Amino acid sequence: MTSTSTSTFAHAPATRATTSRAASGLMMRGLRTITRLPSAFFPAMLMPIFQSVAFSGTFFAITHVPGFPTDRSINWFMPLGVLMGSAFAGVGLGFSLIRDLETGFFDRLRMSPAPRNSLILGPMYAAWFRSLFVAVVVAGVGFALGARLTGGVLGMVMLFGGAMGIATVATGWGLGLAFIFQDMRGAAIMQLGLFISMFLSTAQAPLSVMTGWLHGVASLNPITNILRMSRQGFVNHTVNGHTVGPGVTWHDTWGGLIAIVGLSVAAVIFARRGLNKLDA
Amino acid sequence: MSTGTIATRTEFAHSAETSHAWAQTMAMSKRSIIAIVRQPALIIPSLIFPLFFAALGASSFNRATQLPGFPKVDSFLALTLAASVLQGVIFGSVTGGAALAVDIETGFFDRLLASPTSRVSILIGRLAGNALFGSVEALFFTLVMIPFGVNIRSGPAGIAVITLAGGLIGLSIGGFMAAMALRTGSAEAVQGVFPLLFVSMFFSSAFFPRETMQGIYRTIANYNPLSHLYEGMRDLVITGWSFDAVLKSLLIPVGIGFASIPLALLALRRRLRAV
Repeated sequence: MTSTSTSTFAHAPATRATTSRAASGLMMRGLRTITRLPSAFFPAMLMPIFQSVAFSGTFFAITHVPGFPTDRSINWFMPLGVLMGSAFAGVGLGFSLIRDLETGFFDRLRMSPAPRNSLILGPMYAAWFRSLFVAVVVAGVGFALGARLTGGVLGMVMLFGGAMGIATVATGWGLGLAFIFQDMRGAAIMQLGLFISMFLSTAQAPLSVMTGWLHGVASLNPITNILRMSRQGFVNHTVNGHTVGPGVTWHDTWGGLIAIVGLSVAAVIFARRGLNKLDA
Repeated sequence: MSTGTIATRTEFAHSAETSHAWAQTMAMSKRSIIAIVRQPALIIPSLIFPLFFAALGASSFNRATQLPGFPKVDSFLALTLAASVLQGVIFGSVTGGAALAVDIETGFFDRLLASPTSRVSILIGRLAGNALFGSVEALFFTLVMIPFGVNIRSGPAGIAVITLAGGLIGLSIGGFMAAMALRTGSAEAVQGVFPLLFVSMFFSSAFFPRETMQGIYRTIANYNPLSHLYEGMRDLVITGWSFDAVLKSLLIPVGIGFASIPLALLALRRRLRAV
């Protein structure tokens, strides 16, 4: 009994180390894909830049609607671009997994002694690095176009935290769908699912400007909380729909943190169940 | 006499070749359309997605229609019909391009090349499928929005022009997607272009009128052919029948096609050279 317990205790760190090593290897492979197949990664990185720029220009007039929390459209749309880019960085790992499934490379990974968790964690780590890269580039472009940080350093922390969180959720979603579909049909659904969930929030307009059905849906959508948390360094803080000034507050943060944790756990479970089904 | 016989034989052979090429193009088009119909999971998003954005815009931006620069409309939804057609057809064209890339990835394209099929018919067949699907999508969006209060002021003739424009847009944008598929041979790369295409619509007046834009954005939107294409179709919806609107709706996609289809043919030639 004692020896079994000792053995279990001895195995736990070893397993963790193996998982970590295998996940790191898969992460590096995920990052190398950027240079090996740039045509698959760079559109996903350019998209949020274009989105920030295009939305700011196209929807510039929306800042004139009474109740809009900033007079700069780039302040409103750049954080959306960062989050969207991070989400697509995560989903890109789902695309890569589909390719591995189609070519049979993933079968070789499954036959290897790599722990199952590392097959999820590796792409997740890669997604975090990819999302950080995308967030830095998109935010840089946003500042170059006149975005004004009104919430100080904490505002940037909120933006990057939101980006990493949404990348985690998107990776789990992408991997789960890749395990289910095992071909490029899954790719369209990955993108569509993300687009829909992100746009059914305050992506385009704040709750105070919305009319009709979307107001109710966006109020319930957890992505609204993540966007509120990520944007607070760039827009005026509102309480009960009234603008009270700039700054990062706990009031605009806690909902986002809960949404990130909840959605991340759900997405990772979804991915892990997909992998288990593949093994069955 | 003998020269005449040879000429007749040559003409006959040429005519038979043309007939075969036509039959092959039709067969490839049919295959492309059947492939679309057989995989509803691929086409439903291109039908639902633009409607979703129309509903989203109507709810997000309805208050903006009171701002200076907006044309007089009953609701924001009336402004979005033409944008929905553009979005849907672009999405459908990406799907068509990805299907061509899948043919390359799975080796089906090589089998076609090994057969005595006309090379061009492989491409034209795929594009014809895109065009037909584009028309169906345009008609679908129009018919779906009418019960939600969108009044097509140009009447049935306007609906016919919008439907035809949808087909032409499918053909022209499909040309770019086919070029991408033939160049990269990767469905993943073709899928990756979708967000860029989608965002390029935002540099046009497809979502907000050019009059509400400022600076460089307005300049780009002024030069973006999608702005004029959109405004042509939009005017058929919110203003009524006009020769100018019809010309914009039909000739602009034809012009885009003059750039995209030769590009696709060039990509096909490069791929054939590489085989």
